[in-house]
Amino acid sequence: MGVWAFLAAAIAVGLGALGAGIGNGLIVSKTVEGIARQPEAKSTLQTTMFIGVGLVEALPIIGVVLAFLFYAGA
Amino acid sequence: MHTSPIIELGGIKFDLSTILMLIVTSVIVFVIAKLATRKLSVENPGKLQNFMEWTVEFVQNLISSTMDWKKGKHFLSLGLTFIMFIFVGNLLGLPFGIVTGVHDPEHAHVFGKEIVSVTEEFAKHPDVEEVELAWWKSPTADASVTMGLAFIVFFLSHFLGMTRNTKSYFKHYFQPYWFFFPINVIEQFAKLLTQGMRLFGNIFAGEVLISVLLKLTALGVGGYIASALGLIVWQGFSIFVGAIQAFVFTILTMVYISQMIESHDEHEH
Repeated sequence: MGVWAFLAAAIAVGLGALGAGIGNGLIVSKTVEGIARQPEAKSTLQTTMFIGVGLVEALPIIGVVLAFLFYAGA
Repeated sequence: MHTSPIIELGGIKFDLSTILMLIVTSVIVFVIAKLATRKLSVENPGKLQNFMEWTVEFVQNLISSTMDWKKGKHFLSLGLTFIMFIFVGNLLGLPFGIVTGVHDPEHAHVFGKEIVSVTEEFAKHPDVEEVELAWWKSPTADASVTMGLAFIVFFLSHFLGMTRNTKSYFKHYFQPYWFFFPINVIEQFAKLLTQGMRLFGNIFAGEVLISVLLKLTALGVGGYIASALGLIVWQGFSIFVGAIQAFVFTILTMVYISQMIESHDEHEH
């Protein structure tokens, strides 16, 4: 595959990180808003936030693994 | 990147480092659990007992946040096993590594079996002097281990759904309309795949970054400083990631089980 594999790896990592960054930012900002409004709900909100972040993280990480595969296959 | 020691038994490839690390992780978890419950006492609990009680309460809260405690109490030991095994497994790869070098394919044997990954590497690059075998890593940095764990959850949740909640289990495939059936089936397999690959990807990517940081030392003094600083930061973050992933895996297990054993009618608003 040659140089295209490196390009594919870079695109997979870069776009995956971009999307996940936006998604994580939205999750955390909404959680902070929620905690600011209702500080007593902090622990529930944090648990839900971590689940959400964990779910969002899956896709860029799969992108990274794919990128490693492209990189190794180059 | 180091090669993993893979041998072939009856046509199936076995990664010896993964098997070794699975055993090490199981032994560590067993010893922790055994030590923590050895001298149980109500008046004067030891430090380890306190820690274990905290862990059990943590998993209890985690289960009761996803389902009714009456239904969920059976899964306490499952969740406790998952969270301890995955957390210990995630951390094992961080502190050090054991790497052996093999200089020629004739010496690439273990228990009288040929290490196929080494012979392949020598066949691919005949001019390479030494193939490095990594024996110490996180067991969860191997896709077959994490997918195996995810399969346990997959089978368990579907089995429980079929036996304990038969009617609404089969009905939920046709929700909200019958032609959603393919999407609902894909969703089940997507859950299985993402649950396994999330854990694998996080830990594997972490280990790859550690080995990349270690390679910086080839650049001289500046490389050593950069490598040490990067490793301090990344290892600290990896502890956090390992804890979060163990937590996420366990809570997703409980969420998937609760989705299967709880009838959907009472939840639809």
